[in-house]
Amino acid sequence: MSNNPDKPGSKSGISRRSFIGTLGAGTLGAAMVGPGTATAQEAQGATDGHLVVALNVNGRQLRVPVEARHTLLEVLRDKAELTGTKEGCGRGECGACTVLVDEVPRYACMTLAVEAEGGEITTVEGVMQGEELGQVQEAFVQEDAFQCGYCTPGQVMAVEGLLMQNPNPSIAEIQEGMSGNLCRCGAYDHIFKAVRRAAELKGG
Amino acid sequence: MKYYLDWPAPDAGHPPPQDQEIQPWGETRVVGKPIPRVDAYERVSGTALYTLDMTLPDMLHAAIVRCPHAHARVVSVDTSRAAAMPGVRAVITASTPGAAIPWYGPTSSLFDERCRYAGEEVAAVAAETWHQAVEAARAVDVEYEVLPFVQDDEVALTPEAPKVHDSGNVLNQLTNERGDVETGFAEADVVLEQTYHTPCELHTPMETYVSIARWDGNRVTVWDSNQGVFGIQAGLARALQLPLTSVRVICRYMGGGFGSKLGLSKYTVIAALLARMTARPVKAALTREESFLCVGNRPANTIWLKAGVKQDGTITALQGRFLGSAGAYPAGATSTFLVQALYRCANVKVEDNRVYTNAGPGRPFRAPGDPCCAWALEQMVDDLAEQIGMDPVDFRQQNIATVLQTNNTPYTSIGLSDCLSDGASAFGWDEARARSRGDGHIRRGVGMAAGMWRYPGDPRATVFVKLFSDGSVNLNMGASDLGTGTKTTMAMVVSEELGVALDRIQIEHADTGTTQPAPSSGGSQTLLVMAPAIRAAAIEVKDQILELASAELERPVEDLMLRDGKVMAVNEPDGGTEFSGLRGLRGRQVLVGVGRRHPHPEGKIALPFAAQFAEVEVNTLTGEVRVLRLVAAHDSGRMLNQLTYENQVFGGMTMGIGLGLTEERILDSRQTGKVVNANWHDYKIPTAKDVPVDNTCVPIDPNDTECNTTGAKGLGEPAHIPTAAAIANAVYHATGARVTDAPITRGRMLAALAAERGE
Amino acid sequence: MLPNFTYERPGSVDEAVEQSGADGAVLHAGGTDLLGCLRDGVFSAEKVVSLSGLDELRGIEATRGGGLRIGALTTLTDVATDATIAERYSALAQAAASAASPQLRNQGTIGGNICQRPRCWYYRGDFHCLRKGGNTCYAIAGENHFHCIFGGSGCYIVHPSDTAPALQALGASVRIASRSGTRTVSMEEFFVLPADDIRNENILKPGELVTEIVLPPVADGTRSVYRKVRDRGAWDFALAGLAAVVRMDGDRVDSASLALAGVAPKPWRAADAEAALTGGNLDAATIARAVDASVEGAQPLEHNGYKVQLVRGLMEETLRALEG
Repeated sequence: MSNNPDKPGSKSGISRRSFIGTLGAGTLGAAMVGPGTATAQEAQGATDGHLVVALNVNGRQLRVPVEARHTLLEVLRDKAELTGTKEGCGRGECGACTVLVDEVPRYACMTLAVEAEGGEITTVEGVMQGEELGQVQEAFVQEDAFQCGYCTPGQVMAVEGLLMQNPNPSIAEIQEGMSGNLCRCGAYDHIFKAVRRAAELKGG
Repeated sequence: MKYYLDWPAPDAGHPPPQDQEIQPWGETRVVGKPIPRVDAYERVSGTALYTLDMTLPDMLHAAIVRCPHAHARVVSVDTSRAAAMPGVRAVITASTPGAAIPWYGPTSSLFDERCRYAGEEVAAVAAETWHQAVEAARAVDVEYEVLPFVQDDEVALTPEAPKVHDSGNVLNQLTNERGDVETGFAEADVVLEQTYHTPCELHTPMETYVSIARWDGNRVTVWDSNQGVFGIQAGLARALQLPLTSVRVICRYMGGGFGSKLGLSKYTVIAALLARMTARPVKAALTREESFLCVGNRPANTIWLKAGVKQDGTITALQGRFLGSAGAYPAGATSTFLVQALYRCANVKVEDNRVYTNAGPGRPFRAPGDPCCAWALEQMVDDLAEQIGMDPVDFRQQNIATVLQTNNTPYTSIGLSDCLSDGASAFGWDEARARSRGDGHIRRGVGMAAGMWRYPGDPRATVFVKLFSDGSVNLNMGASDLGTGTKTTMAMVVSEELGVALDRIQIEHADTGTTQPAPSSGGSQTLLVMAPAIRAAAIEVKDQILELASAELERPVEDLMLRDGKVMAVNEPDGGTEFSGLRGLRGRQVLVGVGRRHPHPEGKIALPFAAQFAEVEVNTLTGEVRVLRLVAAHDSGRMLNQLTYENQVFGGMTMGIGLGLTEERILDSRQTGKVVNANWHDYKIPTAKDVPVDNTCVPIDPNDTECNTTGAKGLGEPAHIPTAAAIANAVYHATGARVTDAPITRGRMLAALAAERGE
Repeated sequence: MLPNFTYERPGSVDEAVEQSGADGAVLHAGGTDLLGCLRDGVFSAEKVVSLSGLDELRGIEATRGGGLRIGALTTLTDVATDATIAERYSALAQAAASAASPQLRNQGTIGGNICQRPRCWYYRGDFHCLRKGGNTCYAIAGENHFHCIFGGSGCYIVHPSDTAPALQALGASVRIASRSGTRTVSMEEFFVLPADDIRNENILKPGELVTEIVLPPVADGTRSVYRKVRDRGAWDFALAGLAAVVRMDGDRVDSASLALAGVAPKPWRAADAEAALTGGNLDAATIARAVDASVEGAQPLEHNGYKVQLVRGLMEETLRALEG
């Protein structure tokens, strides 16, 4: 292990925002905060073999000591204790850990925590409004779009991302958009219906 | 030896007869409606705490050392390097005191010095962090004597094959026979024979396998992802030689099991032992990769069938030879049941051969063996129908058995005929069957298959229902909710009887410390065992409150009913007294109903039936197969919740698509004996793009008043049994090419098409 | 679990080149392939050099000559949804859209996609195979369902990329930065066969990195498609794929460029099929000749003979569709 010796990167909220400029209008509840203020500069100040990363999670700034090898998933679940984001495989093969980074669905298990600095991270906890369910979650309840529910937070985040890019997806677009999230219980049919209902709830 | 596969098990429990007279439901107000789950909020919000999500104060993490060889003797285990690593608090091996625990019956032990498959447990480590535990496990130095191994089921039966166990490689060989098949074949106008193969499949629930053990003096509490806390409790108590009351097992939310989490697993015992050694809580969670090796599978089957049919549609003989291996240790591997039972036939002979091989051990997997049997039988039945020029649906209609032919027991109800006809009608079978299959390289076809499920359930269950003075209710049941919606349907039963809103019903479940013994959630038995017990308990509470209210309101009990949390006169639904307004209830504080499941009906058996229909598109140039739509008609008795029922049916079919088209464990049998696709990339379970968007569920309710007091039969397993075979039949209809080996990969489809063209 | 490594995030390409030239350094673009390899112990890394600070490597822009320049860090999603690419280089858009899963496309980059390591399960698994410095290619006598039918020797991997064959058929080139400056090579020159280098799939040396991909202008009358066949609708790599770029002059094929995915250790140019098509009409006889030519020289292993049939089928279907 070593401390983070590198120079601050040029990665910033601004460049990320421009990248997602084409994604269309969408709201994301609690995640709608200003651009991330964290930069790699905050990674200085590491102690005892750890880096300190500053992460913007659900609009809150977290400063967490991590090892370079720690994934965003490990940090969310083990350090931030946000266990709504599930671990299914740890290898980018199931989607249970899907979160939004700058409004784009990604696998938290395939993202190094240090790489998530500067991005706005939204987890399933972040689409709640207080104790109220978000619209996608509500649609999942109404359509019974899950069985065991373990993949559900990841599915919900994939839908959030899909509807931001495409507020009124066709059924084929829903299938494609949801194809990065396994559901071993096989609730896909109801998930498709929930995506349609969520699109309606969001006014798509 | 009796395994889950050998259901119906003769040693199923015998609950005492009930003295309570419970009438079948008439029209229901809650039961049968499409009601979202009572724990939906927790599951969609991410607040539901699964075992894998849990952290206890001061908790250690375990990692397990696994044998990398398909067959090896452990010569020595040196833990000194591992024990000295940062954060390591305990290392356990076969020689650790207390670790000599028998496993797989008498055939093996927790850390067997002879490892019979790649992935078998050799030692384990507990450390402060999971990373430290994994690193320490890698530093345990094990010297192996590598032994020759066998993985081919046929080869395992030969005398020169390496022996998996000293006793040899035959687990068991069973023959079931009625009539005389040779006579039957002689009577037939057409005799067909064919060999089919189904792959070894892996359960791979979304939540992997995990236990957290914490000792409190000489008692241990285990939070565990499983399908039945009482089974795990019994196994663990036996392993640790503790009384049942010293072992508490809890499973609040769990992320799927499909049969693989029914029994006690080594990692659970390892967690308990490491926790005792360190006097700290220990979490043992398997990685996704480990979950492909050591926690069960559906064994591959090779099934040879021979069948005779008369021109008039009579099936004169059915003969089968089944070969399967549940890997290195005793477990079920095959099921001949459907051949014996689904269609009327006087002459049947099935031979069942189960062998040991040097591969990961099998475990029950959603209708153990039956989807494999259906894959063979239902393709054969279609071929018979074609040979005599009959429609596949008509042919099956003509051959429905009216009793369970294995022991001539009548059914309490049999809705198979309605499944076939209503399913065909919902599918538009006749029109679809007659439609053009296309003349380009894209062909369309339709196919169907039938099925039934063989287990009537272990009828022992005891539940408590408590009505408190404010009118809220506690439902106390031992059953787990794997995601089938058990909690929801059971609360609906209470709501139906007590007229209490679902959000006023709190459920305590799946905790051996606080709930009553219940059957494991497997075998499609949970609903049909638990719901009658819960109904009995609720009715006991209902009787008490009606009696109280009758005295207090000075009206006869017959004039009163319970609705909307009130007691009201039958003819005055607008009035009524809140439960909380009853002085008698306040005085008593709580009314308790104890419900027991009644025994199964004497001399009859209650089993569910199914028919499923598929339309597929096959690209004859590339071998691509797309399932365009599915229709499932199920006689699972009364439907208790439309949403969860339909969800269960579609889920079973999705898993059937996996068997039919994508899933297959692959062993490096000729070199190392390792699983080469122990991950979700190379082991392919269906995605959102592999399922049709056009799915229809046709519930068939035969109004069974004999099966139990709710009229419900099992659903989880029958929903999965016919799907793959229906797809295979549709593929054949589309192309004229029979794919006898599942799954129908692009490669197998292309090979079958080439064979069909005579190449 | 990932092994330990240090992490660097250089602020310029020059720094990245410098840092990645060190012993034990590996480059991290999107990371989706790298982290999988590190987790599985396919290779080790002392130092991960992240390119995420190099914004200049992101984006798609027209070149002065009428072509297109795609920064190496441009995500597959951006490649798949870019209007210009979809219109003029549709094979590339289709290839990018068919890769992996939506989340992986949101993260994975075009540069990473062409540089990803093979998916052979012996290479990825707990087997000390030839490509990892061992003595044996386990695929030869083992489970070779997904292995190559062309170009194998000693090692029988297939190149996993969907975009690489599309880029190759479209005539793209790769710009590579190194200590000695930058150079541009064609896609065909970029990839290597096991016979030439048993350990690497391309010519990149430590301290070299792909900075951009350059697509030439498209001549009028050119149509391009990418068609991929897999066993499962997402995540799967190609059992076989075909990138076809055909320029028609009326009814006549003026030029044809065909590159196969999933059948060889590098994007496999079907040169004989190209020759069979060029100058002819897309009639049944010509297509049949091209189909036959496309599998000329195929050497299937025990379990992957279906790929010969699959390539023929892909070729026939794709060419017929181009005709229509």
